[in-house]
Amino acid sequence: MQTAIPFLLNMMTLIGILLIVSMGLAIIFGLMNVINLAHGEFVTIGAFTLVAVQAAGGSFWLALLVGPLVGYCIGLMVERVLIARVYGNPLHAILVTWGLSLIIQQLLVLTFGAAPQRVTGPFEGAIDLFGATYPAYRLFLIGLVMTVFFATIVVFKKTNFGLNVRAAIQNGEMAAVMGVNVEKVNARAFASGAAMAALAGVLLAPMTAVTAYMGVNYLARSFFVVLVGGAGSVAGVAAGSSFIGGLETALSYQIPTTVAQALVLVMAIVILRFRPNGVLPA
Amino acid sequence: MTIIQPAGSAMMRRTTRTYRPSTVIALIMLAALIILPLFVKSYTLSTYRDIMLLSLFALSLDIFWGRTGILSFGHATFFGLGAYGMAIASIRFGLEPQWVSLVGLLFGVGVAVLVALCVGYFILYGGVRGAYFTIVTLALTLIANQIAIGWSSVTGGDSGLIGVPPLSIFDFDFSGTLSSYYLALGILAVSLLVALRLMHGRLGLLLTAIQDNETKVRTLGYPTQRILLLTFVSSAAMAGFAGALYASCAGFVAPDQIALLLSTEVIIWVAVGGSGTLTGAVIGTFVVWQLQQKISSMSVAAWPLAIGTFFILLVLVFPKGIPAFVLDLFKRWNRGGVAR
Repeated sequence: MQTAIPFLLNMMTLIGILLIVSMGLAIIFGLMNVINLAHGEFVTIGAFTLVAVQAAGGSFWLALLVGPLVGYCIGLMVERVLIARVYGNPLHAILVTWGLSLIIQQLLVLTFGAAPQRVTGPFEGAIDLFGATYPAYRLFLIGLVMTVFFATIVVFKKTNFGLNVRAAIQNGEMAAVMGVNVEKVNARAFASGAAMAALAGVLLAPMTAVTAYMGVNYLARSFFVVLVGGAGSVAGVAAGSSFIGGLETALSYQIPTTVAQALVLVMAIVILRFRPNGVLPA
Repeated sequence: MTIIQPAGSAMMRRTTRTYRPSTVIALIMLAALIILPLFVKSYTLSTYRDIMLLSLFALSLDIFWGRTGILSFGHATFFGLGAYGMAIASIRFGLEPQWVSLVGLLFGVGVAVLVALCVGYFILYGGVRGAYFTIVTLALTLIANQIAIGWSSVTGGDSGLIGVPPLSIFDFDFSGTLSSYYLALGILAVSLLVALRLMHGRLGLLLTAIQDNETKVRTLGYPTQRILLLTFVSSAAMAGFAGALYASCAGFVAPDQIALLLSTEVIIWVAVGGSGTLTGAVIGTFVVWQLQQKISSMSVAAWPLAIGTFFILLVLVFPKGIPAFVLDLFKRWNRGGVAR
């Protein structure tokens, strides 16, 4: 019992991280079908927003608000200038977003330097939980991710915006005929995906080394979460995160973390052989 | 649709009999490369040898990407496996000196083929195509890179392995700059000719047809999955071969020979020459590599920034490759002249 609870909570933390990183991708890639290789860089942008806000004397909570806002604005800009030209052409989307990710990385290095940045979490210390002590920040992260996850589901299933997005994606022409401004909806959907990634970045920053290249670590894993879970389904993201996060935590107790990460991605490839549409397709 | 034109569309096929500009340029380059050793010092010569091995690597990507239209973001994996295979076999196996190079080459290429076969089977037979294929191969490079850095007792970790012996097979010794230069030139020329022959023949047609409509080709009785897998594996074998040769010529391996940046660079080499043209891949490598040295000598950040900008321009401005873009410009300019 004494070891089982930290183990479970570690697992929950990783699943939570993957969930929040992948949710933005689930919108951009899963729903809009845009291969966004710059997704990791939106996470990085979020983390660096925290760095900038704290350097300017602001608090973590301020960054938690500003981060998604910055991500949203940059996402909106990127969609207008680049992504809007490559809808329906995956190869072009791959090349454009990969180029973008390289540019963002270097711009961040030029502005902030290559060394890892210093950030502080909102609270230190641990909380006693069922006889085991666990860092309070991680518990906060798990809780917040759950909230955001369910809020996203509600937005996509119950609001007008969610309806418009789903309509524009299912059949853009028909949606346009019915009076939906497809361009605007696409731009907003992409920007919300970017905002979600930036939020993930702010949340992640106190737990990892913040460098301009941190996004790559999450890029492949978040794509696999969406692919394994089933592109286009929200429940799939949860399933995918649980699979990849759970397995990785379990394995990294036995073998080195890098090998565990590699092994999990290999398993994901094997799963794709047998379930090409993911575990829980839309 | 303006995809980065995987050549072999109907129009290009009809013109294969006439000499395309890229073929003429390739022949001129070949002649220049043959007489080059008369004019330059041995350091420059070894640089050109390395570029030719990298061209071989670019060619291997173009065989798969150019004809099938499926972009592999993981070709550095196979290049790196070849290089690491060579290094590990020749340093760690403790073989007799006369066998080292041969076993190293076989081991390097063998590992690359094996990995390509396993991964290719799972994803190609699983029906993963197009953009998904790109993502899976991208992840493959990340995995390989993590292993190369993490498994330091075998791979030497971050610093890699130093002391890969120069190539010598039976009594043929390629440790000199001149001999290894001509070896690389010979291998590149032969590979290019064979690739051109195959890709302009039945196999090339079949691959183009699969790209257009795989279901239809399959209905006609062709085992499309097996054809794709074999092409992928041959392409990986060629990349591994290039990597193994590169490791033995350079004398060392390092994790950046199995990294995402190299995967990215090889895509650029091919794209600059125009994917699917095969000779373009070689020309692209020569041009971009020289440019790369100039740009990276300015500052560390300059090269990745240049790559990023290039990718965006590639899609938005010249989706068919730079040579095609320049030719189009000429055509438009000529037509404009006539109209006036």
